[in-house]
Parts: sequence; structure tokens; C-alpha cells
Amino acid sequence: MIKFITKRILIAIPTLLIIVAFSFFMMRIAPGGPFTNERALPPEIENNIKAAYNLDKPVYEQFYIYIKNLTKGDFGPSFKYKDFSVKELILNGLPVSVTLGLSSIIISLFIGSLLGIIAAINRNTIFDYSVMGVSLLGICVPSFVMAPLLSLFFSLYLGILPTSGWNNGNIMNLILPITALSLPQIAVISRMMRASTIEILNSNFIRTAKSKGLNSSYIIRKHVIRASILPIIEYLAPASAGLMTGSIIIEQIFGLPGIGRYFVVGALQRDYTLVSGVLILYASLLIFLILITDIIRAILDPRVKI
Amino acid sequence: MPLTQKNIKNNNLLLDIHDLNVFFNTPEGISHVVKDVNFNIKKGTCLGVVGESGSGKTQTFFSITGLLANNGYAEGEAFFKNTNLITCSNEERRGFLGKSIGFIFQDPMTSLTPHLKIGDQLAEIAIYHKKINKKKALERAIEVMDIVKLPSNRDIINSYPHELSGGMKQRIMIAISLMCEPDLIIADEPTTALDVTTQAEILNIFNDLKNNLNIGLVLISHNIGVIAETSNEVLVMKDGEILENGETSKVLTKPENKYTQHLLSCIPPWIGN
Amino acid sequence: MNKNNVKIVEDYANIKGRSLWVDARRRLFKNKAAVVSLILLFFIAFLSFFGPFFLKFSFSDTDWNSIYYPPNLNNGHFLGTDGNGRDLLVRILYGGRLSLSIGVLATLVSVFIGVIYGTIAGFFGGKLDVFMMRVVEILYAMPYLIFVIILMVVFGRNIYFLFIAIGAVEWLTMARIVRGQTISLKEKEFIETSKALGQSNFMIIWKHIIPNLAGPIIVYITLMVPSVIILESFLSFLGLGVQEPLTSWGVLISEGSREMETAWWLLIFPGLFMTITLASLNFIGDGLRDAIDPKEY
Repeated sequence: MIKFITKRILIAIPTLLIIVAFSFFMMRIAPGGPFTNERALPPEIENNIKAAYNLDKPVYEQFYIYIKNLTKGDFGPSFKYKDFSVKELILNGLPVSVTLGLSSIIISLFIGSLLGIIAAINRNTIFDYSVMGVSLLGICVPSFVMAPLLSLFFSLYLGILPTSGWNNGNIMNLILPITALSLPQIAVISRMMRASTIEILNSNFIRTAKSKGLNSSYIIRKHVIRASILPIIEYLAPASAGLMTGSIIIEQIFGLPGIGRYFVVGALQRDYTLVSGVLILYASLLIFLILITDIIRAILDPRVKI
Repeated sequence: MPLTQKNIKNNNLLLDIHDLNVFFNTPEGISHVVKDVNFNIKKGTCLGVVGESGSGKTQTFFSITGLLANNGYAEGEAFFKNTNLITCSNEERRGFLGKSIGFIFQDPMTSLTPHLKIGDQLAEIAIYHKKINKKKALERAIEVMDIVKLPSNRDIINSYPHELSGGMKQRIMIAISLMCEPDLIIADEPTTALDVTTQAEILNIFNDLKNNLNIGLVLISHNIGVIAETSNEVLVMKDGEILENGETSKVLTKPENKYTQHLLSCIPPWIGN
Repeated sequence: MNKNNVKIVEDYANIKGRSLWVDARRRLFKNKAAVVSLILLFFIAFLSFFGPFFLKFSFSDTDWNSIYYPPNLNNGHFLGTDGNGRDLLVRILYGGRLSLSIGVLATLVSVFIGVIYGTIAGFFGGKLDVFMMRVVEILYAMPYLIFVIILMVVFGRNIYFLFIAIGAVEWLTMARIVRGQTISLKEKEFIETSKALGQSNFMIIWKHIIPNLAGPIIVYITLMVPSVIILESFLSFLGLGVQEPLTSWGVLISEGSREMETAWWLLIFPGLFMTITLASLNFIGDGLRDAIDPKEY
């Protein structure tokens, strides 16, 4: 197991390096970026950047220093927020984004899988059709339509939930953003789970289990779920990527001070260091998730060699 | 109640099938795959069922055991221990399945749950039907593994299906069907997916079962050679109908039906008599 | 050849004429959801491209006398007006033009890259394949929307660049599908035959592999167009996509969500147009997949 994990980490390192290199050289070729001359920057930022990237040294050394700083968690100074480093801004937004993202992923995995399994077992019944119909709606109504609609209905029309704001993570403030963020993922996961459960239910080993006279709830628990959940585990990383991008919009709509909000502001104001810091953070998170996925899959499916 | 009376008279009768029909709903309409089939199975005998693929031989036995695909349904009577398996409730049928009726499938490679250990797959059936604890169930598992001549039992119990060969998996399937000492075992093309030497070994196991345990055995196959080797009675099916039914020796030496004659003529002359 | 034989050959040719595609079309038209979706989609596309010619307002005409008109069938503003007095229907149709064009064009860009990449990796196999697929895997790990945003930031918010950027990140799945199909096709007898006949690799790929990939590619296109439309709207919603006075559904929804308290129609109608389009494309994609690859029966 340890060998497997170290091997995976060793594979992850070059991936991360490529992403870092990409963001480093993107900043260098960007017009009006931190490394070009035709810019009008406040002198203190210019000095900060010069100090951070050692602009007098050759490019490869600059890249080396950049990576060395990254390993210390130092993403450099923000390009637009004078008094903050990128690290400070990210740490500022992290609690909000983590709360949002983590609860959404847990909720969508749980509800999505559950709905999918029930729909698969009760295939071609009213329940199946309504779950699939609603989930189609969840796929076709993008989150940036769904979120304002939810807020229109629950906040402005019914007046039971606040329209926006973080309010120190008050649960009432979280309901709408988490719902809006989870709905598309619940839709995708429930469809996936339904399809994979149906496939497993039609498989030969389930026929064997039926021929043993076992009751259906036992068969579902012991024989079906562990096999049918595999595609969902594989979907964990893409789902998280979806939630990350989704949270950019959701934080914007509900006025939540998370990383996504900083990212949008940074992108609009061409704050290169901030934007590439967020890219590196999200990419490393995804690579980490892929590693987790591989480990869970190895545990669930004995055919996977580790 | 004529059937039950017959059952009382003839204690040897295990399964009695009358006017069994199987249908499938397809996009092109209803397809009638088993047509008014009548036959019975006695204790201590082996019934061979032959026919080409699509002759309805598998669906006949799937309908009795409630394993038809979702779009299939059956009509008729199939009496087993005074219960009509076609019309009884699912719970009643489940009470017999695995416990009194064992089923062995064609493809051993995909018929075992990939993520469960062999021991669990053997034990669960005894735990479920006999309400015994796991330790006792595993002891029973080792017993039946002896019957199917599996070596180094402990190792196999702790392995996963993908670690075993096809022949070993099929022995496990047979072992599963034996776990609760059934009265009837239905084997659907149990040797088709195996290579020739393994085939012979598996057939030997079936011969032993038939001789040593007083059970009814159904052997479904498209291979007349396999049927000739193991069964005492034979059923020839084509297009969902029974063409011929009788003692194996009679049917195979003096076939009355043209199709049976044709089937027999397909056997290369160097195979047995 | 006597007459009878000629007839047999002709019959055979006729049977062959009922090819996979004819069968697929027959199955597709049996699928009610797909047919309804096709009609709806054509209707929306037709309206978007030709509708504005028949309306009396233009998409940038501001009218300070008709600010925030609710939908009204009598004054010509069928879906109401926005805060600048612009007619919403015309703006939705213009937005549809843009969203649909970007959807189709960016998809074509990504199909082009994906097909070439996938066939090369699948056809030549070996170390090249391992390397190329490793690259795809690495790119998969990227949060691709953030990637697009960075491309937009670095290279400026240009509408032409928008679909190149989207196409450049959306080709990965296409490449994977094409590679898988190519590998399975490569083993088929007719490819072996072509090789034995001495055809060049390029000719084999062009004449035999790519035409046989048409099915999965078409299915994938119908499923990719909606995701590209969402992506564009997403960027426009954040203010990183299409810029004023041009408009797209994403821009309209973004504006609408800011003004939904005063004028709900500004959010509902663009959202409705977009949702119907996305749903139709999904139904058509599902229908096509079932029609081309009828595994179910």
C-alpha cells in the first residue's frame, strides 16, 4: 500500500511541475504582466515583485526560486492588493470555500447515489421517471440560472432565507449556496449511479445471488452497491473540479468571500500572481483527489492491483 | 388437485411441470419462447436437456426459478414440494432457491461477485437459509469444497474470484449449490465455457453427485456427448417445444423424431456409443 | 448473367442500401423526445438567426420611454424591456445567435484537435500512445475552467479567442473516445486487408478509420455543444466572456439576475431559452446514441 501511494505521489510531482511551469511562463508572456516593462505600478509593488522573482537573474533561476517559494507556500505578492500576499488572500477565502465545497461534495455524493440506486431498483416506475426528469432539469439548468431562481423564490418571495452574505458561516446563509452548488452534481451522480446499478443488476453475478434465494435488500447491500459505486468514485475528482468552478459563480452570486471571489476579481483586474496562485492550489487539490480516488478504488475493487 | 395426489402416490417425483409457457415482451411484440411444455424430474436421476441455442431450454428453467429477465413472464404449473413455483409469491420461491434448488450457470468467469471473498460467497447462503453462524457456515463450505475436489481449501476461501481459474470457479459454483443439501440441482451449460480437460473433470463431479447423493439433477446442454455421458433421461427441445422425452439410452439409440436423428448425426463417429 | 441473377444482385444492393445510417435515422425518428427536441432546436436556431429581421426593434436601440416594460403582447415588446429600454426578445435572439455559434464553432475546434490527436495515439500505439495519453491525463487534472479564465486574462477578452480557448480545453474527452475506437478498429480485418494491400498509414486513417468514427463523434458533438454553451455563458456571466454591446445568453442571465427584484422577466426568459436549448441538445444526443449504437435491444 505504501509503495502504491509513493508511486502515485511520484507520478503526481511532474504533473504539478508542468502546471506550475505553465502558470509561471503564462505570467511572463502576458501583456501588462508583472514581468513586462510597459506597466505603471505603484513602486512598492514593483519592488516587492522584483524582490520576489529576482528579475535580475536568468529565467531558469527565476523559475527555480519561484518553485522554491511555492514549496514554502509562498505564492508571491498580490499584484493588485497592495498590502497582501497571495497566500494571505487565499487563506482568507479558504474557510468559506472549504465549507462550501466539502459540504456540497458530501451532500451530492450521498443524495445522488441514493437517488440513483433507488431509481435503478424501481426502474420504469413513477419514482424513476421523476428522479430522472428532475435530474435532467438539474443538468440543463446551469447553476448561474438556478442560483438566482432559488434566491428569487426563497429569499425574495418567501423571505425565509437570506439572499446573500457569509455571516460567519451561519447555516441559514449556507443553505441556498450549497443547494445551488450541489444540484447539478446530484443530477449527474444520480444518473451515473442509476446507469451503473442497472448494469450491475443485469450482471451474471447478481443472477447467481438471486439463485441463492437471498432477499433483495441483502443482495443490494452486499453484492450490488460496492460494484455499482465504482464509477462514482472515479467521478470524485471531476465532480470536485465541477464544484470548484461552480463555487466561483456561486460565491459571486451569493456574495461569499471565498477563493472563487478573489479569483474573479483577480482575473478581471489582471492580478496574475493571485490568479496563478489559485490555479496551482486547485490543481494540487485535484491531483490529491485523484490519488485518494485511486486508493479508494483499490480498496473497493480487489481486481485493482496495488 | 390431481397433481398433488400424484405427488403423494409417487414419492420419487421432485418437479412436475404442466403446460408451461414463457413469453417475452419485445419492441416487436410478444415473443413466445416456451410452448406448452410438460415433463417431470425424479429423485436420483439426471435429466439431460438438449437443444440448439434459442430452443427455450434455459428459459424453461429460468421461469421455474424466477430468474427470467424483466420483460419475461411465465404461465402454467411447476410443482415442487406441493408448491407451484410459477404462481407462488417471490418470498415462497426464495425459500426454495439456494436451499432446496441449486442453480449452476453457464459462465463461471462472470457468475461470482468480484468484490467478495469466495468464503463469503459460499457461507452467506448457509447463513441465510440455515440461520447458522459464520464459523459453522465456513466449516460447511470446506466440506462441500471437498465434494467438488478443490485443493487447499483455506487458501481458496480467502481469495477473490479473479484469482481462480475458470474450472475452479465452476467448482465453486457447484459448491455453492451444494451448501444447503438441495433436492434438485439445475446446471445450465456448466461445461460450455471450459476447456476439454476441465470439462471432463466437472462432468465427473456431476456423475459423483448423481450417484452418491439422492438428488435430482438437470443438465442443460447443446452438447449431446455431455448428455449421453451423464443423464438417464433426456429431453430434446426445439423452438420452445419438447420434441422427444424418454430414457437416454432409448432416445439416443432409436430416436423417433427427425430432429433428434439430425442432432445425433452431427456427432462425429469417433465419440463413444 | 441472366435476368434472374441481375435481379438477385440488385436486390442485394438494395438491402445493402438500408445501411447503418438509414437504420439509425429510422430509430431516431421513433424516439419522440428526440424528434420534439430536434424541432424545438431548429425553431430556436431559426428564430435566432432570422427572427431579428422581422422585429421592429434592434438589439442596441435604447428607449428611455420604455424602461422595464413587463412582457406585453400589445406594444410589441413581447418579452418586455430591460433597464435601458431595449427589447428583451431581440436581445435574446441576438444572444442565441452568439451562444449557438460559439457552441458549434468551439465544438468543431475541439473535435478537430481531439480526432487528430486520438487517431494518432490510437493508430500508432506503443510509447507514443503512452506519452500522448499521459499528457491528456495531466491536462485532465487541470481545473479547466480556471485554465480558460487564465487564457482569457492573458490574451485579452476577444470573442474569437473565446472559442479557441474553449476548444483548446474541451478536446480531451474527444481524444480519449477516438483513441479507444481507433484501437478497436485497428484490429478489424478490413484494416489488416488495407495494410496487406500496401496502403499508406495516412490513407488508412483517412479512408477507413475516420469514417468509422463518425457515429461516436456525432453523438459526442451533440453532447459537447451544450457544455460549450454553458461554458461561454459561465464566462460571460463573470464578465470574462462576450463584451457589451454584444450579448449572449450568459450576459443576459447575468444582467437578469442582478435585476430580478425589479424585473423578473430579464432572468426568466433568457434562462428559459437557454434551458430549452440545452435540454433539446441532451435529448438529441441521447437519442442519437441509442439510434447509432442500439445495444439495449
